[in-house]
Amino acid sequence: MGTKYVGKPIPRIDIDKVAGDAEYAYDFTLPGMVYAKLVAAPYAHAKILKIKYDEALKVPGVLAVFTGADFPFKVGIYAADRDVLAREKVLYYGHPVAAVVAETLEAAEKAAELIEVEYEPLPPVLDALEALKPDAPLVHEKLHEYKHAPFIYPKPGTNIATHLKLRKGNIEEGFSKADVVVENTYYEPLISQGYLENWVGIARVKSDGTVEIWSSHQSPFAVRNLLATSLGLPIHKVVVHHMYLGGGFGGKAGLLLEHIPVLFSMKLGGRPVRLELNREENYFYMAQRAGYYFKMKTGVTKDGKLIAHKGEYILDAGAYADYTVNVARSVGLKPFGPYEIEHVYADAYAVYTNKIPTTAFRGFGLMELYFASERQMDLLAKKLGMDPVEFRLKNVLIPGKSITHTQERLREDAGDPAGAIREAAKLIEWGKPPEQPKEPWKFRGKGIAAFWKGPVQPSNAASSAIVKLNDDGSVDVLVGTGEMGQGTITALAQIVAEELGIPIEKIRIAPERRTDMVPYTWQTVGSRGLFSEGQALIRALEDLKSQIKKVAAQVFRVFEDQIEIRDGKACVVGEPWECISLAEMALGYMYPNGNTIGGPLIGRGSHVPVRTSIPDPETGKSVPAPFYTFGAGAVEVEVDLITGRVKVLKAVMVLDTPAINPMLVAGQVYGGTVMGINIGLLEELKFDKNGRLMNPNFTDYKLARAADIPEEMIFKCLGVGQKDAPYGAKGVGELTMLPWPGAIANAIANAIGVELYELPMKPDKIIEEVKKQRPELLEKVREALKVKG
Amino acid sequence: MAASKSIIVFHTLLPEFEYFRPKTLQEALELLDKYKGDARILAGGTDLLVDMRMRLKQPKYVIDIKGIDELHTLKYEEGKGLTIGATVTLDELLNNKIVKEKYYVLWDAIRQLADTHLRMKATLVGNICNASPAADSAPALLVLKAKVNIASVNGTRTVEIKDFFKWVKKTILEPNEMVTSIFIPEPPEGAKGRYLKFVRSAEDLALVGIAALVANPKDPAKRIVRIALSSVAPTPVIVEEVEELFKQDKPLSELAEEAVKLVKSKVSPITDVRATKELREHMVEFGTRYLLKTLLEG
Ligand SMILES: Cc1cc2nc3c(=O)[nH]c(=O)nc-3n(C[C@H](O)[C@H](O)[C@H](O)COP(=O)(O)OP(=O)(O)OC[C@H]3O[C@@H](n4cnc5c(N)ncnc54)[C@H](O)[C@@H]3O)c2cc1C
Repeated sequence: MGTKYVGKPIPRIDIDKVAGDAEYAYDFTLPGMVYAKLVAAPYAHAKILKIKYDEALKVPGVLAVFTGADFPFKVGIYAADRDVLAREKVLYYGHPVAAVVAETLEAAEKAAELIEVEYEPLPPVLDALEALKPDAPLVHEKLHEYKHAPFIYPKPGTNIATHLKLRKGNIEEGFSKADVVVENTYYEPLISQGYLENWVGIARVKSDGTVEIWSSHQSPFAVRNLLATSLGLPIHKVVVHHMYLGGGFGGKAGLLLEHIPVLFSMKLGGRPVRLELNREENYFYMAQRAGYYFKMKTGVTKDGKLIAHKGEYILDAGAYADYTVNVARSVGLKPFGPYEIEHVYADAYAVYTNKIPTTAFRGFGLMELYFASERQMDLLAKKLGMDPVEFRLKNVLIPGKSITHTQERLREDAGDPAGAIREAAKLIEWGKPPEQPKEPWKFRGKGIAAFWKGPVQPSNAASSAIVKLNDDGSVDVLVGTGEMGQGTITALAQIVAEELGIPIEKIRIAPERRTDMVPYTWQTVGSRGLFSEGQALIRALEDLKSQIKKVAAQVFRVFEDQIEIRDGKACVVGEPWECISLAEMALGYMYPNGNTIGGPLIGRGSHVPVRTSIPDPETGKSVPAPFYTFGAGAVEVEVDLITGRVKVLKAVMVLDTPAINPMLVAGQVYGGTVMGINIGLLEELKFDKNGRLMNPNFTDYKLARAADIPEEMIFKCLGVGQKDAPYGAKGVGELTMLPWPGAIANAIANAIGVELYELPMKPDKIIEEVKKQRPELLEKVREALKVKG
Repeated sequence: MAASKSIIVFHTLLPEFEYFRPKTLQEALELLDKYKGDARILAGGTDLLVDMRMRLKQPKYVIDIKGIDELHTLKYEEGKGLTIGATVTLDELLNNKIVKEKYYVLWDAIRQLADTHLRMKATLVGNICNASPAADSAPALLVLKAKVNIASVNGTRTVEIKDFFKWVKKTILEPNEMVTSIFIPEPPEGAKGRYLKFVRSAEDLALVGIAALVANPKDPAKRIVRIALSSVAPTPVIVEEVEELFKQDKPLSELAEEAVKLVKSKVSPITDVRATKELREHMVEFGTRYLLKTLLEG
């Protein structure tokens, strides 16, 4: 690219994070603020008989105790399935049943201990497959009464929160043409987003009825919209303040617990109320990620062409389905990897159980799906006797030609799916067997997985941007997207610098947002930020530039098309000495005699996704997303049969898109790789037989540590852009995580001949499966460890 | 987390307590005697403060011993052994030449205990007094035959480390007693040791920990082999029969096989949130094999 800023590895502009003066919601306080503390139930499923709290009210400093009875309505994102505090029943172990508000956290905690609840325990349902059985206990008996969005399909009288259908071709015909069929069930447990900043919300109600909230969230406008609709408030009376977010990974998309401090503040005459969670509370009160069963039956012809795929996908949504209903839509509408299949038949269900509520997670179900479907690909290749890379290339989607699972003809400039697979294979030296280590208990193997993803969003998910030119020619940029570490604001600043020809240092994009002061964006999710905000911003810059040209044209007495903008100046084309600086015209250009033209220059621009459509409820036929990023990941792993541990020695990622900032993409790739690998190998929320979460902490919910990062991580962007994307660049944030569990499982199979169908691939599982599938390997290790002499 | 009766409160704050920071051992012992079961010693606090926030321990009185100079001894006497005072941190031990050279198995265990930050606060004595079955330093101290020096207002006593642990998080200490130091005798001539810690990720608690100490493997008369483990029983354990076994004049290959059987028969791992019983059994077997091969042949 002949560019000066775009495409360059420019350091992040949010360096205040390194300096330590960045402000997060958790840092925020208000004068006169009081503290809320939630109290949880120790049953997975129980009727609430009585709540006693007179002793709690006596603790000095306590202002109020609230129970479900104080808030007789439900809230939610796509379905209003959530009590503010449990009413009638508690639905999971850890479900908040009451809350204390006090002058200090000490008083609130002390009083919380004194609350007593009587229950009648009910049989819980703790597994999604069990929950689907006709005689299963119902988590939500009154599902028929719940309000819900039109594109989700709850089934009253069952535990089904939604059911998504995809139909393409004729599945029976498809399987009748298949020569080789592979059928498996895959399982992935509930996991946690594992962000560092625990959730916090500080709310107050002003005397004019304005509700203000500062909280840790990804998407300020989604919080505003959902708060207003849930509580019946006019949109403009809800002001959401966004600050730096200490990680979200999907877990802070949408409405979280904001309604709780808001409602408490309303009850307390508008006093500012702070609800801050500690780590354990964050596990129990925030929504985590669903568990998955993927039942897959996939058929190929003997020449290696995928012909039929049938999937039944069951998501364990926990007690409240939050975004999980939409995640079901995500895997339902993209039920297989980036391959063309003539006949596809898929059903995706989100199912209520008596577990922790679940919501979005980076990748929106597709990392989970590709673990299963990329395993299917390798198992099919094995049965066919075909090389897995060759098999993938034979079936991969071709832009301009292939028809996707949702019956969309892929746009011509959609990307380079085949190129990504080829490049990943090249970088991992596919075909060259790994060098085996000298310790006879260690085994190495390589594996590959391909992926694709676009944002799962409504067809009208809009964005907008405003650019203000300042007195000195510097620029303030207003956007609504949240900054949670992904770096979008730096990439946006690069676009402004490029378009106006001014240095990055002259651009400010503040991390704070107020919904009444920045322009709208739907959400900061789905790797859509740069693609959507970027387009809105480019339009805003076009708007600003045309105003600049208009003023300059008048000054120089030329046509507007005879003005060009370079190096922060508007100049007459061909006469670069005939210029006026942007500073001179920012607030209005003044002639020597004082006459002034123009006026403060403000550019505005909007974006809505083009061509995307609402899926047909019976077939899923639609254009679900405005772009897809395609890519592939490959690994070399080492399996240690003494420890049972799997180590990723080398991880390769190829993305087909160009990068606005290769350094930011590198950050995403490294982070996504470490996260994806760790989820593949270690992460799970563990429940005991009563449904109690046993690892609500970082001691036993195992996040990767610095020393767990693979030694070698390589990535490459192919630079194949989509025409309507900003500088061709498509989203990457979530994409960087998608291939790892699948690629690792495939590599393990190649290393030790053990096929895995479950995550995480932890030591327990590795050793158990080696004992079942390859016991002779352990004999070999015993032999090798015999003491001589 | 306090699951008292019908509700759960996940606490952010510590429970209320009274804090003392005595300057002398005598003062500390008097406080301990005065408050008996209601008081707790605070060393690095990396176990105690966590337990207090979780309401697993709720002492009314906390006695911080870090201000007591006489407990900060770290002294090696040639031919006798090493004395490690109650406030000596793991980091200090890790940076001590004698520990690394003479007591490598302990150094190896400390190296793998928690992380750099924790080790700057945490003490060796705290690790032992906390009496977790997963205490990483315990197997090393067991194969080194360490002794625990205990004091109270009534006097002092010394016990073998193998007799110190009673049950999960329980020691033989009386409520008015505290540990003043650990003494580790001079290790057997030519001894080599290793601590093998099985983990899920970097900086993890032990799924299984195995310490082995071997001296003069080729000479049955002078041969010493000791094995101790963590996370496989209610307390850290030494399999004392192993030392007896290796006194026999039989081929090493045969003795090693018998030792593996012996170790397996003397442990009773369970399934918990960290690992299954089956995985732990695998680790005990293959870990023992690995250590014996490395130390007996090497
Ligand atoms: C993040 C993290 C990681 C950890 N990783 C590991 C690990 O990998 N391996 C491991 O073994 N441990 C680990 N621990 C536990 C802990 O750090 C160690 O057990 C440490 O050695 C405890 O020492 P301390 O000085 O902090 O003890 P403290 O917390 O001060 O005391 C521990 C207990 O012993 C009592 N006590 C302390 N000193 C005395 C004394 N002189 N006399 C009588 N009683 C006394 C205290 O009252 C308390 O009950 C970890 C802890 C954390 C928080």
